Amino acid sequence: MVASRVVPGRGASVGPLRLADVDPPEPPGDGWVRLRPRLAGICGSDLATIDGRSSRYFEPIVSFPFTPGHEVVGDLDDGGRAVLVPVLACAARGVEPPCRQCATGAINRCERVAFGHLEPGLQTGFCADTGGGWSTSLVAHESQLVAVPDGLSDEAAVMVEPTACAVHAAGVVGAVDTVAVLGAGTLGLLTIAALRAGTGAGVGTVVATAKHPVQRRWAVELGADRVVAPGELARAVRAATGSWRLGAQLTGGFDVVVDCVGSAESIAQGLSVVAPGGTVVLVGMPGHTALDLTPLWHRETSVRGCYAYDRADFEAALDLVAAADLGRLVSATYPLDRYPEAVEHAAAAGQRDAVKIAFDLRGERRR
Amino acid sequence: MKRPSAGSVTGRVGFPYRAPTVPAGVKVPTESEALGAHYDTRWARSFGARWARTVLLEGAVRPLVRLVADPDRRGYDRLAALDGPVIFAANHHSHVDAGLLLSSLPEPWRYKVFTGAAADYFFSNRVTATLSALALGAIPIERSEVTRRSADEAAALIDDGWSMVIFPEGGRSPDGWGQRFRGGAAYLSIRCGVPVVPVHIEGTGQILPKGTKKLRPGRTRVTFGRPLRPADGESSRRFAARLEQEVAALADEVAGDWYTARRRAHAGTSPPLTGPDAGAWRRTWALSQRRGRPRPAASPPRWPKL
Amino acid sequence: MPRPGFVLEVDGSTPPLLFHSGEGFRLEKLPAGRSRVVYPAEPLAPLDDVDGAIRAALLAPLGDSAPLPDLLHPGMKLTIAFDDVSLPLPKMRRPDIRSRVIEAVLDLAAAAGVDDVHLIAALALHRRMTEDELRHAVGDRVYDAFAPSGALYNHDAEDPDQLAYLGTTDQGEEVEISKRAAESDLLVYVNINIVAMDGGHKSTATGLSSYRSLRHHHNVATLEHSRSFMDRHRSELHHSNWRMGDVLKAAGVKVFQIETTLNNDTFGLEALRGGGPLGMLQKREWEWTARDRAAFVAMQAGLGRLSPKNRRRTFQSWEAPYGVTSVQAGEVDAVHERTLEHVHAQHLVPVEGQTDVLTMGLPYICPYNVHSIMNPILVMCLGLGYFFNLYRGRPLVREGGVLIMTHPTPWEFHPVHHPSYIDFFEQVLADTTDPTEIEARYEKQFAEDEWYRHLYRTSHAYHGVHPFYMWYWGAHALRHLGQVTIVGGDPRAVRRLGFRPATSMADALEMASDVVGREPTITHFHNPPILMADVT
Repeated sequence: MVASRVVPGRGASVGPLRLADVDPPEPPGDGWVRLRPRLAGICGSDLATIDGRSSRYFEPIVSFPFTPGHEVVGDLDDGGRAVLVPVLACAARGVEPPCRQCATGAINRCERVAFGHLEPGLQTGFCADTGGGWSTSLVAHESQLVAVPDGLSDEAAVMVEPTACAVHAAGVVGAVDTVAVLGAGTLGLLTIAALRAGTGAGVGTVVATAKHPVQRRWAVELGADRVVAPGELARAVRAATGSWRLGAQLTGGFDVVVDCVGSAESIAQGLSVVAPGGTVVLVGMPGHTALDLTPLWHRETSVRGCYAYDRADFEAALDLVAAADLGRLVSATYPLDRYPEAVEHAAAAGQRDAVKIAFDLRGERRR
Repeated sequence: MKRPSAGSVTGRVGFPYRAPTVPAGVKVPTESEALGAHYDTRWARSFGARWARTVLLEGAVRPLVRLVADPDRRGYDRLAALDGPVIFAANHHSHVDAGLLLSSLPEPWRYKVFTGAAADYFFSNRVTATLSALALGAIPIERSEVTRRSADEAAALIDDGWSMVIFPEGGRSPDGWGQRFRGGAAYLSIRCGVPVVPVHIEGTGQILPKGTKKLRPGRTRVTFGRPLRPADGESSRRFAARLEQEVAALADEVAGDWYTARRRAHAGTSPPLTGPDAGAWRRTWALSQRRGRPRPAASPPRWPKL
Repeated sequence: MPRPGFVLEVDGSTPPLLFHSGEGFRLEKLPAGRSRVVYPAEPLAPLDDVDGAIRAALLAPLGDSAPLPDLLHPGMKLTIAFDDVSLPLPKMRRPDIRSRVIEAVLDLAAAAGVDDVHLIAALALHRRMTEDELRHAVGDRVYDAFAPSGALYNHDAEDPDQLAYLGTTDQGEEVEISKRAAESDLLVYVNINIVAMDGGHKSTATGLSSYRSLRHHHNVATLEHSRSFMDRHRSELHHSNWRMGDVLKAAGVKVFQIETTLNNDTFGLEALRGGGPLGMLQKREWEWTARDRAAFVAMQAGLGRLSPKNRRRTFQSWEAPYGVTSVQAGEVDAVHERTLEHVHAQHLVPVEGQTDVLTMGLPYICPYNVHSIMNPILVMCLGLGYFFNLYRGRPLVREGGVLIMTHPTPWEFHPVHHPSYIDFFEQVLADTTDPTEIEARYEKQFAEDEWYRHLYRTSHAYHGVHPFYMWYWGAHALRHLGQVTIVGGDPRAVRRLGFRPATSMADALEMASDVVGREPTITHFHNPPILMADVT
């Protein structure tokens, strides 16, 4: 099998990622099947891992060496196609009875991601036992599979996993008047689509920030009422809410800010434009940041995380991808042996007029 | 070693290095004719002297004035339409006034100006006469009476394109209040057909009042008024009175605000320069009430520097 | 004897022509045989005795007005309104003519024993003037006499308690002006009429009014039908103001109008005679002496070395040595007609026929960026608003023709002076540049924004609606022109304006040929110093 593997102990400068022929992973137990990836996306969290920017927090919940890739559509042995729900929760780990979170269906909050009969790993693509999407073969638990309807293209199907994140975020946002979406990368754009799909149950105004023309175009196309450069956001929110200013802080603001960037600057910006009592939802993976929490305290605003999805989000995402034809967001695909180029393209997607970059594994040698 | 006393030194230096002693019973003729009102100041308007005066004014007087008197000069805009020779007539508190006013004159008058100075004071001996003529561009003016000679000299200079600085009170204020203006400036204005610029000087009385020798540095204000011209057929006495009123109005303007000062000037109720007609202590008391409004601070820019 | 303005036909030996370009200059060659240059007149001889002329005007007013002293009496309410920092441009060397007029008026008022005097900077929706600016305009003596007691202040068009509603014109235009001015026994308005647009009934009806009143003539329809707004008799903007003037009269507002005109001595007449750093800017290029050329080269080199910030500061500190050419006082219409004669005497230059391509160099200043930054919206307003409209008869450029302007057009805004401009640029212009659509969709939101209102009233910000007026100012030109090109401008900012960026004049002329064909006629509008084309 060919797989890109993340190997620990390599300096970030040369990168811990390399392409190698490895033995395909073996199903660890009953209920596990083989999935042969057709397309596998490159996600922001993958890039962070490759660049060595990820938080040390992940150490106990990943296991090395692993094959990255959690945005996967692949072939099953029975001839059908499926998208992977990569979260490795109690069901996949053989944990009986399931933890409190999994019992309610909130598999993204599973309390046992490092336990059970699998090596630690919060998702497929970060676990040594399962293999990952950037390869020709991985193993998946039945609970991790969602069948792809025949009419749906591979490109659309590979967008289902990130779309599920966005659907989940839209659910967190709920029905509010005003939402700002920070960042118009894949996640930002999909969040806009999800907010507009009605899964957010009727959001009034959506203002998004975007750095690059391609992002602007997509943001408008997917339903943002206004798209601004990051530096213009405070003025846009001020004008839209009729609020006043105290230095960099708006007196009013938007009900919810969805941060799809996850940098210290974006979180601080979120806090400066969110209304008193409002919420900044962190959808993009943040890291270690320093923040002045005084405005949070004084204005009773909340910052909350928003990670992954549950099965229901996945079902909704499948519908949304089909309805909004989100397969269009896949801008370029690469074979595995051109992974350095692929990763580079993904890291500079906006500048290079792209949104989602994926590996195309349909032509890889099967061994 | 024993130091020689002053007496022993002068004692040793005899005639002709000392003035001769006068034998008894001999009548010495009075001081040379060439001093006092008769001192000839023509040399002080030669090219070299003017050059030296400019150097002195810019190099010594101006820095000294800034150090000692910290002047706030106002009213130049009133001179905008003026050209040609003019007479600057100012009130007079102190010896500082001349230097202050000369260094306050705007171009083009600054370098072609002479000062009317009391013949009996500034031209009493050769040293002060020379210094006055050189540094102040002074010509001697008889203050006890308007003599033909000093008036002719001043008029000739004005006709020749020179401007004049004169203190029409005829002497420094004895007590901080002004004195009545004499007719000299008005007379010259009428005679030569040039305008008079009333000037008010405030604060020099605290720096070096009459009768003291010690400088006490302070702040001063120099305010130029609107140029005045004699009305048709106006006598120099009446014109002088008008001039005095105008300087009084300037004093009022400096002490309070311009509009109130104009209101009083038109109503003829400007507080007189000469102060209240009362006993000495009350005059002094009233003087202490006349304190100018504070200077406005330079307003800082109110937006970020771009 | 000052020479009048004239039109030069460019031939092979015409030197490169001076183009202002923000805080800098360009020298550009125009093609021989089909280009011409309109040069302004040299500065008219100024009045010798300005104070005398002011006094004479106040004592012998025009129209059916009594001499000013007869209108003043003890116990009356007197209000003196004066033009704000937007006039003149660049600012005038001290003493500013306003201060001289105001002092003369106040001196008469003092003689009459008037106690209740207010002085109001008639700035409508412009930014409030700072203390320094007020001192410059009215003089220190007047400032110190009135400001401390609160009798000298900036007009506040957003203070409901200080506005008086006086009714509507026969066309339903609401008239609302400063309450103090409306309730005074006499309103003396002191104008500087730098261009033909200024003054007349526009002084009071616009300068002292509110948004409620202004919107009736500061709108797209009015300004598109002002051909041009520099030509009072063919300007819908002025017709509306004149109607409002009638309402003021009917409401008993007694206006004593004082208008003053300045000559074209913008960069220093004394420089023409051999001194001063900027004199060459008002000379014809072939008359530049070796000294002028050396000074120009040195200035270009020096400016190149300065940071943009210092360059701006250097330019903004220039004070023009204008001479005063006339002072008129009395009844508004009589005064204004006389004023127009004086303005026209200085500015009008006869030009025969229109042109395919009009070129102009935009200087560093326009009415709305004194001590500030000329942002892209102001670039549009100066070029398509002011300069384009400096015509009488027909526009210099034919309908469907091309306008080429030189200006660096940086994407830069003064955060204190122009907050609503930033939003206008980022939000409105990103959406559309069509004045009618802009007016319909966005004006209300900006005009009523509480934050802008707060900044206008308490800081030094232009009113929220002001950038819209800038855009409307150019509405007639936008409709008239086939293409607008900015040479040397920041491409992003220029595109946001809906114009086309070009790096050189040659490129711009090349681009123009797409619209007006090959070998078009070209006219260069050699302004400033100000000129007004009388196009036949």
